[in-house]
Amino acid sequence: MKTTFISTNSISASTRQSMARVQQQLADALKEMDTSRYADVGKTLGYRTGHSISLRQEHARLTTMIETNAMVSSRMESTQSTLQNLVDTAKDFVAQLLGSRGGGPNALSVQTEAKSRLEGFINTVNMAFGSGYLFAGVNSDVKPLSDYTSTPPSASKQAVANAFFAEFGFTQDDPAAANISAADMQTFLDTTFSALFEDPAWSTDWSSASSQNMRSRISSSELIETSTNANESAFRKLAKAYTMVADLGVSNLSQPTYEKLVDQALLDINTAIYELGTLQAGLGGAEKRVSDASERMTLQIDIIGKQVKSLEEVDPNEAAARISQLLTQMEVSYALTSRIMALSILNYL
Amino acid sequence: MSLSSSLNTAISSLATTAEQTSVLSRNVARANDPTASRKIANITTIPGAGVRLASVTRVVNVALFNNVLSSTSSAAGHGAIVNALEQLEQTTNDPELDASPAALLQKLSNALQQYSSAPDSLAHAQAAVSAARDIANALNRGSDLVQEVRSQADADLGGAVENLNTLLSRFESVNTQIVKGTRSGSDVTDYLDQRDQLLKEISAEVGIRTVTRGDNDMAIYTDSGVTLFDVAARQITFQPTPFLSATSSGNAVYADGVPITGTATTMRISSGRIHGLAKVRDDIAVTYQSQLDEIARGLINAFAESDQSPVPLLPDVAGLFTWNGGPALPGSTLTPGLAGSIRISAAVDPDQGGDAMLVRDGGIGGAAYVYNGTGVAGFTDRIDQLIDKMSAPQAFDPAAKLSSSASLGNYASTSAAWLEEARRSAGAEADYRETLLIRSTESLNKITGVNLDEEMTLMLELERTFQASSKLISTIDSMLESLLAAVR
Repeated sequence: MKTTFISTNSISASTRQSMARVQQQLADALKEMDTSRYADVGKTLGYRTGHSISLRQEHARLTTMIETNAMVSSRMESTQSTLQNLVDTAKDFVAQLLGSRGGGPNALSVQTEAKSRLEGFINTVNMAFGSGYLFAGVNSDVKPLSDYTSTPPSASKQAVANAFFAEFGFTQDDPAAANISAADMQTFLDTTFSALFEDPAWSTDWSSASSQNMRSRISSSELIETSTNANESAFRKLAKAYTMVADLGVSNLSQPTYEKLVDQALLDINTAIYELGTLQAGLGGAEKRVSDASERMTLQIDIIGKQVKSLEEVDPNEAAARISQLLTQMEVSYALTSRIMALSILNYL
Repeated sequence: MSLSSSLNTAISSLATTAEQTSVLSRNVARANDPTASRKIANITTIPGAGVRLASVTRVVNVALFNNVLSSTSSAAGHGAIVNALEQLEQTTNDPELDASPAALLQKLSNALQQYSSAPDSLAHAQAAVSAARDIANALNRGSDLVQEVRSQADADLGGAVENLNTLLSRFESVNTQIVKGTRSGSDVTDYLDQRDQLLKEISAEVGIRTVTRGDNDMAIYTDSGVTLFDVAARQITFQPTPFLSATSSGNAVYADGVPITGTATTMRISSGRIHGLAKVRDDIAVTYQSQLDEIARGLINAFAESDQSPVPLLPDVAGLFTWNGGPALPGSTLTPGLAGSIRISAAVDPDQGGDAMLVRDGGIGGAAYVYNGTGVAGFTDRIDQLIDKMSAPQAFDPAAKLSSSASLGNYASTSAAWLEEARRSAGAEADYRETLLIRSTESLNKITGVNLDEEMTLMLELERTFQASSKLISTIDSMLESLLAAVR
């Protein structure tokens, strides 16, 4: 006669269990609405969590690369402006040399001028950047050029004095210098004096820089040179021209010899200006590559960010809708439970 | 037929109604006990002498009950696995927190990249060393955690085995009562309820199959066929290992002298908490440990230094990262426990008086291994080489169940993916088993449980019967009285 049967306990157990489940879901949905991400990303994504982690790591790698690129860029910018400074002062000196080619009292003033410009040149080349020197190549912790005018006399100054004495038999400020012929001076400048600015003399007396430039990784595949160094020919020629005018006793020279020397200095400086331009162009190319790489990586970062979002993100509106649905469900469940519990035959006996 | 026989019949009805009421009140009393089954008082008619209580039976449904047992086993087994995976997940955590080994590897690579952009900066060198220390520490912690999970599983196995032995001995005494009671024809339904409850508890520990024989006697076998109980309880034995390390494996669980866990046995159980715990201890945690070990091995090898002499003679040695077997390299196959012993070399660790700049210059393994021979401050070749090596594919041992060739970072994220996938699928499976258990318990309870409304209506019937029988007695009494009055 009995067709169906249900126990009292299972009625209340089923409503209780469904309420517990709804409450659990509600907690998750609330968290998802707050963070717009899955409540438990790992559990929801499963093996795709590895993808999410990889993307995040790629994101971090590119961000770091862009940061270091910015540092490299600022070093190069600083190098560029220093090079420009060297060009500008060299050009000023050219004008001064041209103006004082007539000799006489001008010679002494240009000599004094050249001395201070030589010091200025060395100071500029010794420019520090961050924890190292801009023009030191990979030997970045060592001052690239040694001071010229120092006490005791520097090796470079001593070498110039020795060369002069060996060639002419007297010192630079000896009045006898007036007897040096223009041809003799030209020979001296072309050979002995020139050799002072070539290796090995250059690297022992003048420069502690390394000829190997700093290399920077600007993207996962590009490793490029991002610095220049004080051993480049432009720097040697500038040093040579300034020293020539500053420390060969130009005020004592005869007019034709003086003119010869000034012409040689002008030639060197102009070559140096041209070569500095080439260095600037080379660095400019590197700067362009760095900024291109950073730009490319910024685009990649955007895409990666979107991919991470598409993996982990939950639409907060959807979560909110789910919450209101769950709340309704809970209310219904509560109402039903109380009505079912109130429904007992005991009330009618 | 006589008045006195009518009186006897009415009295038998009263007695039977009282018996029925007592069964009914037992039902009502246990209405909210999900393990209770409904008792039914069976009445027989004695020809010419009224009624009497023939027997008390209970409502059973063997198919549903077996369902409950098997889903209890698998829910308990998967529950143990999910618990362990939840603990292991601490090593990865939410990807957003960047706490996984993969994220820490990337942090190291980033620190090296920054160091490469300022190779003369001690601060950057120290940042790189501290990133290296972080990953070494994370691997150490991961390895410790894995072993803790394994040791915990081993201890839990001990607890489960002890519990199982207690349950089986209780089962033995209840079963004896039932067999005795059935033979003497007394009411054993409460004992049967008790035995079912014990079966449920036993099935949570180990997957079982039961066989019922004459006189309600029952035998229990594991799902793999090993006897747990047959007339007498069999001994379950297990020797716990107080502390498990990456190189040690725990003991198997024996039932009746036969191993029921471990890959070597053919009688391996396939569900229940003991199965889940053994799987965690011998399989899941071991695999994860080997993955961490492989990450550690990959790191040590990627940062190894080779002889820089013009004619290299010395073997490659451990560089930034070393291990207990250092300075030799760990070789090309899985080295168990490596993740627990990886650390940064003292020679580069500023905290141990080392020089962080050796990351740039090399020479951690000795003078022959110096890469920056001229000692220039802007030397980046070695750092760049390290960054390249971190992202270059290397060979991994397939025993760790991941790809055999991958870059270090990729390998680490695959390992995280493996863990999360295990967690997701185990979680989904456990949820499913749990739901199945709830459903089958519910269905069983629906059929075998007590419905208060029905008991109440039954009670009304009993009340009426009782009233009617009482009325009969008083009517017969008055009839007898009038008969006696007529005689007098």
